[in-house]
Amino acid sequence: MNASQPLLEIKGLNAGYGEIEVLHGIDLQMFEGEFVCIIGANTAGKSTILRAISRLVPHVTGTLRFAGNDLSNRASHDIPTLGIAHVPEGRHVFSDMMVEENLMLGAFTARHAKDLSSRMEGIFELFPRLRERRGQLAGTLSGGEQQMVAVGRALMLQPKLLLLDEPSHGLAPKVVEEMHDAFTKIHSRGTSILLVEQNVGLALDVATRGYVLESGRIALQGTSAELNENPAVRAAYLGI
Amino acid sequence: MKRWIAILAVIAIAAVLPLLLSPTGYWIRVLTFTLLFAAMAQVWNIIGGLANQTSLGHAAFFGIGAYTSTILVLKFGISPWIGMFAGGFLGGIAALIIAVPTMRLQGHYFALATLAFGEVMRVIANVWTSLTGGPVGLSVPFVPPSIAAYSFKQLLPHAYIALIALIIVTVIFEAIRRSAMGYRLRAIKENPAAAEVIGIDTTKVKLQTAVISGVLMAMLGTLYAQVAVFFDPDTVFSAASISIRVALIAILGGVGTAIGPILGALFIIPVEELMNDLFSSGAAGLSQLIFGVILIAVILWRPRGFITVFDSLMARFSNKARS
Repeated sequence: MNASQPLLEIKGLNAGYGEIEVLHGIDLQMFEGEFVCIIGANTAGKSTILRAISRLVPHVTGTLRFAGNDLSNRASHDIPTLGIAHVPEGRHVFSDMMVEENLMLGAFTARHAKDLSSRMEGIFELFPRLRERRGQLAGTLSGGEQQMVAVGRALMLQPKLLLLDEPSHGLAPKVVEEMHDAFTKIHSRGTSILLVEQNVGLALDVATRGYVLESGRIALQGTSAELNENPAVRAAYLGI
Repeated sequence: MKRWIAILAVIAIAAVLPLLLSPTGYWIRVLTFTLLFAAMAQVWNIIGGLANQTSLGHAAFFGIGAYTSTILVLKFGISPWIGMFAGGFLGGIAALIIAVPTMRLQGHYFALATLAFGEVMRVIANVWTSLTGGPVGLSVPFVPPSIAAYSFKQLLPHAYIALIALIIVTVIFEAIRRSAMGYRLRAIKENPAAAEVIGIDTTKVKLQTAVISGVLMAMLGTLYAQVAVFFDPDTVFSAASISIRVALIAILGGVGTAIGPILGALFIIPVEELMNDLFSSGAAGLSQLIFGVILIAVILWRPRGFITVFDSLMARFSNKARS
């Protein structure tokens, strides 16, 4: 793979569930080390893009390539082995397992790696509260802490690409800020991030580049600064 | 350490108990079937408890095992010990055939699909007269008693074989539960979507449990055939007295735990026998009615199974020991 080749390349992606097509001809590119966000209203199809990358959507056509691999013939449980970690919407922790067990399961496809305890140490540095709660059942944690577990679980894989689906949804403003600080740190450690976010202001704050999705089509794209300046974005999403 | 002493003590009691009963009597028969049904419920527990897939079709594998070993003795004089493994092999294949299309189903839908499969097997056994003898059933031929031929004069050896089978399947259950596969199953049970995104092949793991459970259930079918000596399609492929009963035993005892099916069988089989004994001379069906009422009462009293009674007794015991 040469440097000019994108890490993630999506071309002409159509995806849907049963009869209903949600995405119509999406083109999206991401290079290694980028922090990209997808913004847009509810039901625009933002999550479906992430779910299509993780092969969780039944009907997909178009090109999906990651680090030189064609994703279209992969099974969903194969995706993590390529270095893609997905934090699904709505947290999805293993409630009856301890925080530590949740984290260990994140490294499931890398379970023979020797550095699992140092990976976990890295996550505790990022989210010190998880260290305190390492022996607690994940289901008994607050919403914000559960989101930390879900993100930490994804990081246990040491992914090349981290997919974040609405990570701030339903969290208190202070926790949202904490979370976004953590994303900036994760990005500065060298992980590429593709973030789906309803909170447009925050998304453009942390990401360097963004796509605006409207009814399953890319309506706009540009650097975060450009999108921040765009009158249409300001009117529709930032309420200014 | 303490745990091991307790487990060994229970096994020792179980090993001595058959000797105290009359070797040709009624109660050794009840004990043998209790142990056998405990083993069957434990095997059901592998898929029903660990993979959380409520199968109501386990009679299919059980019947396949009973028929395979008995047909092999009748037609080729092959020892049931070998027939047991042949039946296990076929049971595994049957489990794979039913599991591939149904494993994506959950809850009621999986239960109904497996129930239908069990019924299909019963119908096939009834009509395929040249192989199975049809509705008339099969009798296990009498051969001179020997361990190699799996033939005994008394029920006592059968009780011990059932006990050993129960111990083996319980060890298998517990080994799976504690293994990496057990972790995978727990993850799938708690959150299938999250399990898939961390890289667990949920379909494959569920298929594995289905096949293990199918193989073992078929092998227990041979044990049943050798004790019962006579059976027909409506007994071994029965939805009510095999499929639903083993599920009920595991659920009533405590699904997903190693002790649950044993507690469930220790309750259900003797109580059912006792009800039949006490009331069958009165009105036909009365015993079943009373048995049903008892089951409802028990489920209302302990919805999560006898295991909760057992746990609280153990807690009280260890508290007393400490003070």
